Amino acid sequence: MNKLIPILFAAATLQAQPQEQPQTVLYKAAAIHTADKGTIRNGQMLVTDGIIQAVGQNIRATRQTKIVDLGELHLYPGLIAATTSLGLTEINAVRATQDTTEVGEFTPDVEAWVSVNPDSELIPVARANGFTHALVAPMGGSITGASGLIKLAGWGVEDMTVKTHAALHLWWPVMSLNTRPKQTLRDPDKYKSPKEQTRTRDKNIKAIDEFFNEAEAYARARKAGGADFKKVPAWEGMLSALSGKQPIMVHANEVRQIKTAVAWAKRRKLKIVLAASRDAWQVADLLAKEKVPVIFDNVFTLPQRDTDPHDIHFRAAGILHKAGVKIAHSEPMGSWGASRVRNIVYAAGKSMAYGLPRETALRSLTLHPAQMLGVADRLGSLTPKKEATFIAVNGDIFDIRANVKHMWIAGKKISLQSRHTRLYEKYKNRPKPIK
Amino acid sequence: MKSTLLGRAALAFLIGQFIPPVSLQANEILPPGQRPRPLGAHALVGARVVVKPGAVLEGATIIIRNGRIQAVLPKGQAGIPADARAWEMKGKTIYAGFIDPYLSLGEDKAKPISNKWTVPIDARAGVSFTGVPTTKTDMGRKGPGYEIAGVRPEHRVATEFSPPAKEVAALRALGFTAANVIPTEGIYRGTGTLALFGEGNPNKLILRPDTMQHLAFSTTGKRAEGYPNSLMGVIAVIRQTVFDAQHYYAIQAWHKAHPTDARPEYNPALEALRPVLAKNLKQQIIIEPGSVLMLNRAQVLAAELGFDPILVATGQEWRRPKLTKQIKTPFIVPVVFPAIPELPEEDDWNQVSLDQLRAWDWAPEIPALLQRDHAIALTTHGLSDRKAFRKNIARAIERGLTEQQALAALTTEPARFMGVEKQIGTIEKGKLANLTVVDGDSWFDPENKIDSVWIEGRHFANDNPKPEKSDNDREDAQDEKKKAEPKPGPRIAKSPDAFRGPLLTPKNVIIQNATIWTCGPEGVITNGSIRIANGRIVEVGRKLSPPESFDGIIIGAKGMHVTPGLIDCHSHSMILGGVNEGTLPSTAMVRIGDVVNSETGNIYSQLAGGLTTANLLHGSANPIGGQNQVIKLRHGAPPDGLKFAKAPPGIKFALGENVKQSNWGDDKTTRFPQTRMGVKTFFNNRFTAARQYLADQLREDVAPMRRNLELEAIGEIINGKRLIHCHSYRQDEMLIFMRTMERFGVKIGTLQHVLEGYKIADEIAAHGAGASTFSDWWAYKFEVYDAIPYAGSLMHARGAVVSFNSDSSDLARRMNLEAAKAVKYGGTSEEDALKFVTINPAKQLQIDQWVGSLEVGKDADFVLWSGHPLSTQTICEQTWIEGKQYYDRPKAPARAKALAAERDALLAKARKIGGKENAGVAARSAFFLRALEKAHALNNCYECRKVKP
Repeated sequence: MNKLIPILFAAATLQAQPQEQPQTVLYKAAAIHTADKGTIRNGQMLVTDGIIQAVGQNIRATRQTKIVDLGELHLYPGLIAATTSLGLTEINAVRATQDTTEVGEFTPDVEAWVSVNPDSELIPVARANGFTHALVAPMGGSITGASGLIKLAGWGVEDMTVKTHAALHLWWPVMSLNTRPKQTLRDPDKYKSPKEQTRTRDKNIKAIDEFFNEAEAYARARKAGGADFKKVPAWEGMLSALSGKQPIMVHANEVRQIKTAVAWAKRRKLKIVLAASRDAWQVADLLAKEKVPVIFDNVFTLPQRDTDPHDIHFRAAGILHKAGVKIAHSEPMGSWGASRVRNIVYAAGKSMAYGLPRETALRSLTLHPAQMLGVADRLGSLTPKKEATFIAVNGDIFDIRANVKHMWIAGKKISLQSRHTRLYEKYKNRPKPIK
Repeated sequence: MKSTLLGRAALAFLIGQFIPPVSLQANEILPPGQRPRPLGAHALVGARVVVKPGAVLEGATIIIRNGRIQAVLPKGQAGIPADARAWEMKGKTIYAGFIDPYLSLGEDKAKPISNKWTVPIDARAGVSFTGVPTTKTDMGRKGPGYEIAGVRPEHRVATEFSPPAKEVAALRALGFTAANVIPTEGIYRGTGTLALFGEGNPNKLILRPDTMQHLAFSTTGKRAEGYPNSLMGVIAVIRQTVFDAQHYYAIQAWHKAHPTDARPEYNPALEALRPVLAKNLKQQIIIEPGSVLMLNRAQVLAAELGFDPILVATGQEWRRPKLTKQIKTPFIVPVVFPAIPELPEEDDWNQVSLDQLRAWDWAPEIPALLQRDHAIALTTHGLSDRKAFRKNIARAIERGLTEQQALAALTTEPARFMGVEKQIGTIEKGKLANLTVVDGDSWFDPENKIDSVWIEGRHFANDNPKPEKSDNDREDAQDEKKKAEPKPGPRIAKSPDAFRGPLLTPKNVIIQNATIWTCGPEGVITNGSIRIANGRIVEVGRKLSPPESFDGIIIGAKGMHVTPGLIDCHSHSMILGGVNEGTLPSTAMVRIGDVVNSETGNIYSQLAGGLTTANLLHGSANPIGGQNQVIKLRHGAPPDGLKFAKAPPGIKFALGENVKQSNWGDDKTTRFPQTRMGVKTFFNNRFTAARQYLADQLREDVAPMRRNLELEAIGEIINGKRLIHCHSYRQDEMLIFMRTMERFGVKIGTLQHVLEGYKIADEIAAHGAGASTFSDWWAYKFEVYDAIPYAGSLMHARGAVVSFNSDSSDLARRMNLEAAKAVKYGGTSEEDALKFVTINPAKQLQIDQWVGSLEVGKDADFVLWSGHPLSTQTICEQTWIEGKQYYDRPKAPARAKALAAERDALLAKARKIGGKENAGVAARSAFFLRALEKAHALNNCYECRKVKP
């Protein structure tokens, strides 16, 4: 894999092409991993003006068609990081660089994509390993606001935002008991018995339910109109989720959170996507039955219970898939996860080693998140009519030893340079110090 | 006391006529207005008298005179003195008064230190990279004494003894008549006092003013904010205090001979340790180590320091019965048993772990388990509601302790432990008349009412005192009505030993037809074989010489790859009681080797990823941290059995943001150093001091020297006997650190993390320090903004010895895939990349003559992989250490299933009786306490803070 024949590739020429004229390019590669229709060996992909026209083996090219032979490289759709704080954080320990987390329990009108720092050094680092898109989501209280899908290259927030209001984010209240014994508390009067905690837990869940009741009432009032109706930004933030235009992404790890959230969504007839999903494997059948897609960011979490098999989180995605659950992989939200988006591929790779079929592993980084976020008409697979957003890899994308060599977003060549490659080049060329 | 009153009336009527008028000569005549004292002579008639454990007299009579037992008359024997007041005791049983050897009284009652509240260690991983919580450096105590507030051996319970009447009455109501009242605070806590549970003048209640010195492995307590705040720190303090005391005595002797020389200070703390340390005085010391592994540590430490110890058990001895058995000291045994919690919802039971259920199921068996090999005395210590004491003893008896043993553990044994066996503990002539009187024929039936106790001849009726402080809150109030308590039945919990230890221990092993990554000069051998005998590699190659005779197993490994066992040069995965002693800027005296945790599930999960050796490091909270411990993952072995004995000792150092407390909070601005300039200054200071210390040791003309464990460790570095593993990030700090060390003639063992090491790769290579880095972590602190994943390859290319480390209990499960990142970033060859997690860390730790490659003569530490070791699609199939198989993937599902089945069975058992026990909130929530071995310092854990929900 790492001993590939050097390829001939006219990157400079391609970039110099005037963008105004319609342009058709035929890409040839050792394999095209379409993510929806399998892998085409010695494949070809025809792209016009950034849109895929055809994918196959013997595509007829006209005289105007520019042919780009990628030799031994493998083409994959651009990877999508399904839950991130990318662009909202720079350095975990430096508070001034944090825009990840807002204050307040119910802030549905917060919009995450508006604060993406287009020049965050973390973005090119994610890109360098094949990520062309990321969902940027807000953190904070219970209903934290709306996420947006951004492409990981562009001149500014507006240029980069692919889809605003991609999902509404609901962080399900913690349902596990705090079992800390009374006698270990500094202030034993603050002890809450399991029964009291159950009441608090129920109250928290009711609060969410009631918030949705009120939001529905608002939606009805808005529809009815009338002189007394006044717009409230927070309630406005709920509308697309209520109408089903926008999925609700429920962030939950504990199995009972998951069960409760799924039952709640079913009762309210809401479309949800499960995020984080640590214990989802325990209720794989339920999630399949209720058609709840899962974004799993716990492949590398240590087993939670002392009776869990040591490799259970490596196997979890496979278990979910086998049950019929649509699965995407991600890194946990927050600053730490944002610096590690590039490694999501290897989480999927680990799942693959432990039972997730290769095709599904690829979809878990491409087609599935695109479907969950409602952009599968444009992104997520190498399919005619979709954007020519793809990467060229010198081998198997799931193999750590392979490298992403080229990236295109909507047909445009994107740089894979980053802070890391710049520093690498600089210090690789440091002269030996003179003694 | 109804029965007693009736008895008295009957007696007066029946036998009053032939008892002569009572003589008042024994009684002191009190001034008028005060209640006159009762008589001094009594005859307790017709009781079942348990003279001592195993010796019962039915229908006997006890004669008491002036507080002492004058005689015990067998049934029918005459001799009741005419002046004795007769007490009808028919239908009652009399024991020697019970003695609690470990009692703390009053508001500041000592909590047992055995259990911690934290999340399970196995659920989390890693330590902090963004800083650790800090502490005050103010030692906070007035007057002369030791410089560390927790060291207060001069404290004497006797001088302050004034027992709270209610609490003492409650203890009498259980049958107790005396106790060793213990000091409650600190590490060296002071001396306890043996007191009777009478009333009045405390001068008269104290039987033995100074019983023993008390020592606890405790970081908690009012003044625990300074040094030490970790378990290893506590142990270091215990050691240093003894050396300080010895020096104190020596310098006093010196001063006598050289009166014009330096005057010794006055130190009451060190003075107070004289009876503990002086051979001729030999005061015993009671040690409460707080965890089963620390019981063992306490014994080792006692031998090292010359203590004569009695240990306080933890209730967790089931975790390491063999290790406990090896301990040759008496035990004081608390009988604190957790109760099944009341959980409102079905799903709540998911939170109950196997470990908690095992601890619950084993708990009542601990007294019997300890009784088997040790002298034991029972204590109420740790019971939040002492009323549970009798019920718990009954449960211990159900589970193997005999009544006779239990009685001894309440009477003769504590008396012997406390050196008062000539005074109390049995009902024999001349002893103090300390008696416990119970209705019926046994105290051990909790239904039998305790009638009264006698203390030094004085009668204390059990007038049913109010519970001292019930922990039954309103939720449990309805439980007050006595329900029939269901019996849990025999133990079904297994020993952890059932699930650990080597799976195969063949004499010889041959692996055939494998692709062998030797990580040595032989390179990669395709279709190769390895022969192992007695834990060592004896042959590696394409073809093995045919063995004359073969007694062992042959592994056909076609399609598989074999690599050396992986080595993690930076781990915190198996450390007990805190990774950082982050209080002082130099804690060179603390040792990870004192606190290796052999009980964590991390050992198994990391073996399952092919790891065989780990360098357990102190955290990075201070410039000079603690001493490290290299271990092998010999799953099942106790802490000392995990140690890589031949590995040279080392020590953790740290530079940068952590040690200057940049991310500890805005108020942390007073500890030196606060800048990188200060860090350098600090090292220069300590190394200069250590150099002087070494020089002074060679002088003969000076006063006796104080043994200084901190400078001793730094001195070992200067002498080339201890390797530095230095947490470091920025190029400037690393360069200056290398130069500073060079000035002291020191070659650094490894630069750990070494994130900007790629910027000074030539200088690192020239100095000869190993570079042990993360593969690709960055951006979590300002000082890692320039960290790049190419660093490993760049440093390797410039000649440095490079390793990738985990610093995380998760990453340690897949170090082979970390190595693959050196191929990806910077194009290191596959063979060299694998060396980043095998021979290179071995070289860095200077253990490469034994491990790190598959070469003849080396330890047979190896991994069988399903495929290419650098592929994400490869799975670790088998892990072997020293020719023993410790992990075998096909066996893993059965193991997991058995553990799950055990939990299911235990849970069913627990739920059958859950909620039906008469237990308070404290006992119920004690169920969730975790043994230190299964606990995890939350605020030291990066992973714990990683995810929001």
